[in-house]
Amino acid sequence: MKPPPFAYCRPASVAEALSLAAEAGEDAKFIAGGQSLMPLLALRMSRPSHLIDINRLPGLADLRQGSDGLHVGALVRHAALERCDRLSGPWRALREAAALIGHYPIRLRGTFGGSTAHADPSAELPVVATAMNATFIARSSQGDREIPASDFFAGPLMTVLEPAELLIGARFPAPAPRTRSVFEEFSPRAGDFAFASTAVTLTTHDDGRVRSARIALGGVGAVPVRAGEAENVLQGEHLTDGAVREAARRAAAGCDPSHDAHAGAAYRRELIATLVERALARLREEP
Amino acid sequence: MTYSYIGASVERDDSPFLDGSACYVADVDREGQLYARVVRSPVAHARIVSVDVAEALAQPGVITVITAADVPDVRIPIRLPMAETPDTHKFLQPPLAREVVRYVGEPIAVVVAGDPYLAEDAAELVDLEFDELDVVNDVVSAACAGTTLVHPETGTNLVATVPLAFGEVEEAFARADIVLRDRLRVHRHTAVPMETRGLLAEVDQGTGVLTLWGAAKVKHFTRQALSGMLGIGRDRIRLVENHVGGGFGVRGEPYPEDYLIAFLALRLGRPVKWIEDRVEHFVATNHAREQEHDFEVAATADGRLLAFRDRAWCDQGAYVRSQGILPALLPALHMPGPYRWQAFSVETHGVLTHRTPVGTYRGPGMTEATFVRERMLDRLAHELRLDPADLRRRNLIESGQLPWSFKPTPITYESGDFPAGFERLLDQAGYADLREQRDARRARGECVGIGFAAYTEIGGIGPFEEARIVPRPDGGFVAHVGVGSLGQGVETVLAQIAAEKLGVPMEAVTIDHHDTSELADGFGAFASRATTLAGNALALAAEDLRGRAAAKLGVPSADVRLSGGQATAPSGASVPLADLGEGWGRFDKPHPSFSFGAALSLIAIDPGTGQVRVLRHLVLHDVGRAINPKLLRRQLAGAAAQGIGAAVLEELLYDEYGQPLSTLLADYRMPTVEELPDIEVIIEERPTPANPLGVKGGGESGMVGTPAAIANAVADALGAAAGARLWRLPLTPDRVRELLRPA
Repeated sequence: MKPPPFAYCRPASVAEALSLAAEAGEDAKFIAGGQSLMPLLALRMSRPSHLIDINRLPGLADLRQGSDGLHVGALVRHAALERCDRLSGPWRALREAAALIGHYPIRLRGTFGGSTAHADPSAELPVVATAMNATFIARSSQGDREIPASDFFAGPLMTVLEPAELLIGARFPAPAPRTRSVFEEFSPRAGDFAFASTAVTLTTHDDGRVRSARIALGGVGAVPVRAGEAENVLQGEHLTDGAVREAARRAAAGCDPSHDAHAGAAYRRELIATLVERALARLREEP
Repeated sequence: MTYSYIGASVERDDSPFLDGSACYVADVDREGQLYARVVRSPVAHARIVSVDVAEALAQPGVITVITAADVPDVRIPIRLPMAETPDTHKFLQPPLAREVVRYVGEPIAVVVAGDPYLAEDAAELVDLEFDELDVVNDVVSAACAGTTLVHPETGTNLVATVPLAFGEVEEAFARADIVLRDRLRVHRHTAVPMETRGLLAEVDQGTGVLTLWGAAKVKHFTRQALSGMLGIGRDRIRLVENHVGGGFGVRGEPYPEDYLIAFLALRLGRPVKWIEDRVEHFVATNHAREQEHDFEVAATADGRLLAFRDRAWCDQGAYVRSQGILPALLPALHMPGPYRWQAFSVETHGVLTHRTPVGTYRGPGMTEATFVRERMLDRLAHELRLDPADLRRRNLIESGQLPWSFKPTPITYESGDFPAGFERLLDQAGYADLREQRDARRARGECVGIGFAAYTEIGGIGPFEEARIVPRPDGGFVAHVGVGSLGQGVETVLAQIAAEKLGVPMEAVTIDHHDTSELADGFGAFASRATTLAGNALALAAEDLRGRAAAKLGVPSADVRLSGGQATAPSGASVPLADLGEGWGRFDKPHPSFSFGAALSLIAIDPGTGQVRVLRHLVLHDVGRAINPKLLRRQLAGAAAQGIGAAVLEELLYDEYGQPLSTLLADYRMPTVEELPDIEVIIEERPTPANPLGVKGGGESGMVGTPAAIANAVADALGAAAGARLWRLPLTPDRVRELLRPA
């Protein structure tokens, strides 16, 4: 094979997957859509001892909306999120973000669990999970462990998941009334890894003033970060041009992006200002 | 019945590429074949302390591992005499690094195994030990005294200096009302065809003939190079072209792997196959374009161009490859462009750096020169408060002044009408309206700009091509030519010429270009030469058949009519074409031809992100005579698409240690259909007297003016102060954002 040698197994149940993972040890990897892992294997940048294929595990592809919020199973494909009309209003950022992941064939295979567990700093879904205060559910032989998004991402391509833990999905808490969300990103070409992104969820009072805002930023750090100062400055305000610009300015000033050959730190900070401003303007102008 | 094909938009048969039946080199298999994997340098500059192959060799399935110690001390030669100097042989590349590695990706060893993946597994086990050395990674400082030397034994990083001079430069500058000077930079980028390179070599144990599949572009020269390096006769080497997924100048030159795979097949007595992977491609296949120019232009206050001076540093990479000093020579030949200069002086330097060697990529040298000159002309127009179109109108060489020569330089323009072409581009774009639209959009707060470029393009480089027309048993004809097919549509275009000249339907003609055993000599497909050289050779071969018929019929050749497979005399007497034997033609072209082209672009910048969107893009090219306008349009549009990628997206980046940063298609961003406008193509047909068909080259022109036109449009959108700071390509979003910040 083009990748380095590995053992492959395809369990039929979550329990079997977990026992295979426990047996195989810490160099084993779960594989679902393979849209990040397969290229890394082809480049020999990832060298797992075992690949445990979870594509056929039952019950992991649920996308359920209930009074307790939204449950997204680990095997929900990006295209399923993209095509789900119910993901509007408070959930809209999730749908918008899914539609911006790679190209359509990638979205047909790539999964929610795969993208979040892969934890690429430029990925869309971790940013949305952070803005929406999602809780990840990891299962092991010891049972289920709930991990808030704010604790889940540990660094570039790193999460707090243990080797024998399988991410089975995430729960997005039920939003307060009058909550809406949007997602904005900039990539040099359609389908590229984004240089920067933002997911914003906003809850307003009856009179349109902001009750609470959660602004998560992607591409500007090792993990998705919240723009706390920008969130605070919006509290109690109408989304006037001035308030929007001030929030955008604070979001940019408050982040500390790294530099790489494709986009410098100063540029990424400018992108954050642009994207946050555009996201808030859309929340003001679009119903 | 006569057949008229020249000038007709005959559709070509692309079905093999669409239905999966195309046979690329990766699809060719020979019984008992082995697979090679090249072990490449992971560092840019180091002394090789040791290469330990023991563990790799011990792997199951591994047949052999070779290093420099196993191959003769040979070098890959230079293809064109014009690209060679008395010193260039000192910088040529050995197939495997000897003692020192000079770029990331340089071949060090080759592992051969019974399976490609076993070979790749074993290649990782070749143990390399290095003493790392300092790296040269800047073209301007590379030639300065005291810099680390890429080839210390030569005492210099300067491969060659190309001086060109015309007129009294000092005197012209002294008369100038205005002189502008700036540094301009074109970045490293390259072709990146969708099909990577690949080779399969096999020795016939009966005849001893070595066959190499995967040849392209210049297969006769590669055969000659291999003959010299392997020490076997040309007649015992056969190169075969397969279907090709893109060439654009980089595919088909002789590379280290061409030698290594042939060498291994000879040594092992078994077929050996190698297919380049994408990561290898980004470090192993020729790069192109990186250069910096100090350009100075002198003009009068009313916008008459007087003179220019250009000093340039052109990256050759770590070795001089088969294209010799073309990276320095071609920009020099294209710097004057289509203007009436009174004087100029050019001094381009080919310099060495610790990076992948540089060759040619569609529109080589001319794309770089056009960016430099046209950017400076826009700056000049701005300083003189002239419409940039008017500045060019005042200075384009008039048709009545052709042929025009910048003697003693070799630059000669034989035919065309540059001002008419330029006006046609502006008319087609609706230049006056376009300017109004631009101003209206600006008034609404949009950041939009118009830019254009005019240029000359070298093409139809000789020295010659031959063609053989051979009757087939079924009554048709096979025409053997020495050029290559890289997706240009050359089979269709040459069949049109041959069929019309023979007076037979196109279905009766097969163009055969794929095998060196069918034609003694050939120079290949580069420099927009295939139609001019092979097309005229085919016309002469048809003429040869007509001459034979005339002799049989006892009438002057001019009186013989070829039609319906018969050669007929005015009396009505006729002989079947198939009874006349082979027709042979040779077209010599001692001097290349220059043709005129121009491009215009309308762009918009998103000020919040710095992203440039090309809203409209037009390219105009004088092809002399369009054999197949539809195919030519596609060629020009494809080249323009690559030019848009070069202008705003693509860049081969390196870090300070000489590590390449663009080795994936995710990092090397080529334009997709989402980044491209509909490209508007204008074909000018002003036949050249320099060949019987009147044709000029056309395959590259869409590229040549595109980056310059886009850069000028971006500068126009940025406004006077920020626009003047636009000195380098590509105009990626972060660079444009930087220009948008107050200086």
